[in-house]
Amino acid sequence: MQEGKPLQSKQINRELLLTILNSPKWFFTTVSVLGIIVMVAMGAAGYMINQGFGVTGLNRPVMWGFFITNFVFWIGISHAGVMLSAILRLSKAEWRRPATRAAEILTVFSLMTAMTMPLIHTGRPWRTVYWIYTLPFVPYDYARGIWPNVRTPLVWDPSAVYTYLTSSILFVVVALIPDFAVLRDRTTGMSHRIYGLLAMGWQGNARQWKLQIIAGVLLSALILPVFVSVHSIVSWDFGMAVSVKSWHSTVFAPYFVVGAVHSGVSAVAFVLILLRYVYGWQNYIRHEHIDALARLLVVVATGWFYFLVMEILFGFYGREADEIAVRDYQFMVSPWNIWMMIFVGVTYFLPVAIWLSRSARRNLWIMSLACISVNIGMWLERFLIIVPGLARKQLLTFDWYTYTPSAVEWIIVGGTFAMVTMLMLVIARVVPLIPLYDIKEGEILRTEIKIGRVTVPAVFRED
Amino acid sequence: MAKKPILGLFETADNAADAGDALKSAGVAPTDFDFLTDAPYPEGAFGEREENHRLYIFPFVGALIGLTVGIMLTSMTQMAYPLVQGGKPILSMPPMAVVTYESTMLTAIVFTIIGIIFESRLPAFKEGLYDTRITEGYIGVLVNVDEEQLTSTQTLLTQAGAIDVVRKDGGSGA
Amino acid sequence: MAAAEPKGHGQHSGMWIYPDAKVISQDVSEKSKDMAKPFRTALVVTGILFILAIVGFIARAADDGFDEIGPWGYYTALFSMLFMVTSGAPLAACAFRFTKSHWRRPLSRVAELFSIVSILNLLMFIPMMIVLPSLENPAGSVEGQMELRRSIWFEGPIGAPHAWNLAGVAFLTITSIAILWTSAIADMGEARHSATGLKGWLYRKLAGGWYGTKRQWNVQKAGLALLGAFYFMIVVFMHFTISSDYAQSLIPGWKDSIFPVLYTVTAFQASLGAILVTLFILRRWGGYEGYIGKSTFWSASKVLLGLTLLWVYHLFAFFITFWYGRLEVEQNIIKYLIVDTYSVIFLLNLAFSFVLPFAVLVWNPVRRSDWGPSLAGLLALIGGLMFNIRIFVGSANAAPGENIYHFLLHKVPAPVYPDIWDLFIVVGGLGAAVFIYLVSTRILPILSIWEVKEGTFYQKWGKLHRGEYQILGKPE
Repeated sequence: MQEGKPLQSKQINRELLLTILNSPKWFFTTVSVLGIIVMVAMGAAGYMINQGFGVTGLNRPVMWGFFITNFVFWIGISHAGVMLSAILRLSKAEWRRPATRAAEILTVFSLMTAMTMPLIHTGRPWRTVYWIYTLPFVPYDYARGIWPNVRTPLVWDPSAVYTYLTSSILFVVVALIPDFAVLRDRTTGMSHRIYGLLAMGWQGNARQWKLQIIAGVLLSALILPVFVSVHSIVSWDFGMAVSVKSWHSTVFAPYFVVGAVHSGVSAVAFVLILLRYVYGWQNYIRHEHIDALARLLVVVATGWFYFLVMEILFGFYGREADEIAVRDYQFMVSPWNIWMMIFVGVTYFLPVAIWLSRSARRNLWIMSLACISVNIGMWLERFLIIVPGLARKQLLTFDWYTYTPSAVEWIIVGGTFAMVTMLMLVIARVVPLIPLYDIKEGEILRTEIKIGRVTVPAVFRED
Repeated sequence: MAKKPILGLFETADNAADAGDALKSAGVAPTDFDFLTDAPYPEGAFGEREENHRLYIFPFVGALIGLTVGIMLTSMTQMAYPLVQGGKPILSMPPMAVVTYESTMLTAIVFTIIGIIFESRLPAFKEGLYDTRITEGYIGVLVNVDEEQLTSTQTLLTQAGAIDVVRKDGGSGA
Repeated sequence: MAAAEPKGHGQHSGMWIYPDAKVISQDVSEKSKDMAKPFRTALVVTGILFILAIVGFIARAADDGFDEIGPWGYYTALFSMLFMVTSGAPLAACAFRFTKSHWRRPLSRVAELFSIVSILNLLMFIPMMIVLPSLENPAGSVEGQMELRRSIWFEGPIGAPHAWNLAGVAFLTITSIAILWTSAIADMGEARHSATGLKGWLYRKLAGGWYGTKRQWNVQKAGLALLGAFYFMIVVFMHFTISSDYAQSLIPGWKDSIFPVLYTVTAFQASLGAILVTLFILRRWGGYEGYIGKSTFWSASKVLLGLTLLWVYHLFAFFITFWYGRLEVEQNIIKYLIVDTYSVIFLLNLAFSFVLPFAVLVWNPVRRSDWGPSLAGLLALIGGLMFNIRIFVGSANAAPGENIYHFLLHKVPAPVYPDIWDLFIVVGGLGAAVFIYLVSTRILPILSIWEVKEGTFYQKWGKLHRGEYQILGKPE
């Protein structure tokens, strides 16, 4: 650990504020292209809302397809923020420092993106407004005598996602206060006024720093249970259903959570490699960080694989004809069995084989491929849970059918990837994606121990 | 007499700590001077006073409020619309538990944020004396002393190694 | 003197211990030989309990034979409890070594010594193989019954489940003892010339070639890493098989993919609890306060708090999935194991595995003490026992005789209370485990001397400007 050379505050400020205080030429082009893709996706969504769901591949019995898969996928990506920020902060891992802000911001944007999916999936999104337009007034649908199921996981879901989104946003904003102060001191004009407002008069005295550190630990401890609950509740959207045979499994909650961590942390690793390349942050995002992330991912991936085996094995365990029908569809019928093999291969065997090799962990090209492979696999995982189960839905065996996504669905899903990338790039122009004070704190605490002839890197620790 | 602020800027933490020692020896109360840094130093690194806070009350209060709201919202909604759904009882505890848990955590976190901002004595837009070089890595020693002591304090800070000393009246020097 | 005064900063004052590397070997060696009165008393008491356990076992066998699993429910619960603790404890040593935490050093050997107790598991498992109902329905094809009852072995390959489970338990025992040997080899090697009698003979046999060369240290480190990874996989697999074969499979219609996970989490929680209780006893009454600092409890308490929360999370995930769907069999299982038949045991389980440990561990000042995490650990151990009694007694008696081959649990069975032999078995069995552990502490030093010495290289107390803090070396 601590392979980098010592850095001074001025250098840290200059290099990490580069994205904000300067405009690289590629930035506007890239954001414009991504913006166009997003607008095309929004157009496709508008077209779908205007024409109806017939323009998608959704039909009885597969009522949930690409959109819900994408929803679960982006909720999964959002789990990286808390995993890296909260868990590594609580365990005092030094290598978390460059990763936390990017992970937290990715969390916020992926959650926002995820929430657009069920919104357009309602087909008539304005009805959602009526449904949530509540206290102190009665929701519209209630008033018309339609009483929704208030005990359903589809009610637990928004409560969890909104809690997580609010908590993540507040966490990021509070942690940004010292960096807003740096930006306040480095800018002029309107930027200076806005950053000054956001910094709230931050001076950097001992009390303020103490509260910041405590805030980090306390909020981490509070957000961790929320993070576990969010994807568990999303999994219960499926797990509570008894008519979709492969869904009614008790292990769904931890299975989804660990899968979310797997995909999220891989996504963050990829984002960090991109940031290092694009912004020239070799001093901050070093090979040791990617190495540590890869080693963490081996543990997470293996945990995920264990839960996958539990889910599949107990699917067969019951020896019920209706569940066997779904599993038969997943494992024996083409192209689903091919997708299953690809899914397991790219989600576990390929990346873990890569991550077990030290030289591969420290090769950023190979690591990028491994991380992308994980996310392709995890997207497939959600798809292969949702669609085959619905395609063999009981007791409507006369309705058994398959699912083929339409161009509209492909465009909208593609648009979500463009949206998150675009938002990340835009926010990089406004806030530093690596927390300045965290890096500076790492430099302050860095020291050495001499053992015989060797000098071992060390850190000062308060607890 | 009202105290006036004076800010010394130091290049190294050791010099700033020396300044702190000198101020203490000169009889300046620990509550009258602060160390301003651009990164968190371990508590006590400058020999500064211990800061007490009551942040932990905020999440507790928030959690209690959230718990109450969650229970009320879920139970009253179910009782207001008493429809048996899927054979589940009208007042179904497990779904209540989920939503109540989320509201408890949400309110605990929101109150914690309020607590952090409050205990940090923010917002403080009418900032005291400050220098933008602090975020460049310089360490500021902000002292509040009586007006007649400003000059002696300036001398003390300069002797401790300050590269610059800033006063509210716009004067500066080292 | 074993260590200078404990150090710490601010609210963490007195938490870190800096043992003197020069005196550790001599000091710990003397403590290992010491047979103080409380220790001898503990040996006698637990020895008597061991005998009671054997009496209980023989009486149970004489009364009920080995035909049905029902009368052996409490025996199975005891086996599972010991299995949880003895399989999970060495894993704690491996896991914390893998994460390169320095606070784990005093904990390693304490955890690894539980592997000797796992020999008792192996012996206890033999009757359990005999009483397990066969997968195949002896009545053959009968209407309303399955020809092959549900199990994780599906069509029941050769030897399943008995031979595979026995092989698994044996592998687990062998691997955990291998980890113990690999870890202790350096300490045995150091002491082989000074140790006398049986201990000396044993040390010379097991560590005769150890000289502490660079190569030997590197091989030991790699060996511990590999054995740890291998052990982890076997532990999780065996938790899966034992919990499935002796619990889930025995209740018709209980299809629960999270149960093996919940079982594993309970095992980790109970084993960490056992480790913390042992560390507390050593620190308070064993004279090891110079080696076991409060920082070990502080750090381990976070893990225990996490496990406690994970426990209730997995329990809730199981419960709400079963509760929501309103399937008859799932409602019956909830009534049987949670709200009706075994409701009292369930409430005790919930209290001791979650409510009370959480209430203890949520307070920072309590987690910074040595008694706080240890108290939570003791509560978790009691909770683990309640869990095992609820699950395994419940499973053993859910579907007696041919009912086990029914498709689903249609009726909620009545509770089965322990009789005098069950009490002898459970209480005596726990005493037997403690007896074996106490004996093992006389064979091997309870502190991992080489690891604590290694820690003295990497943990210092140092000054940063005007403050004094812990300095932690990060060699990798």
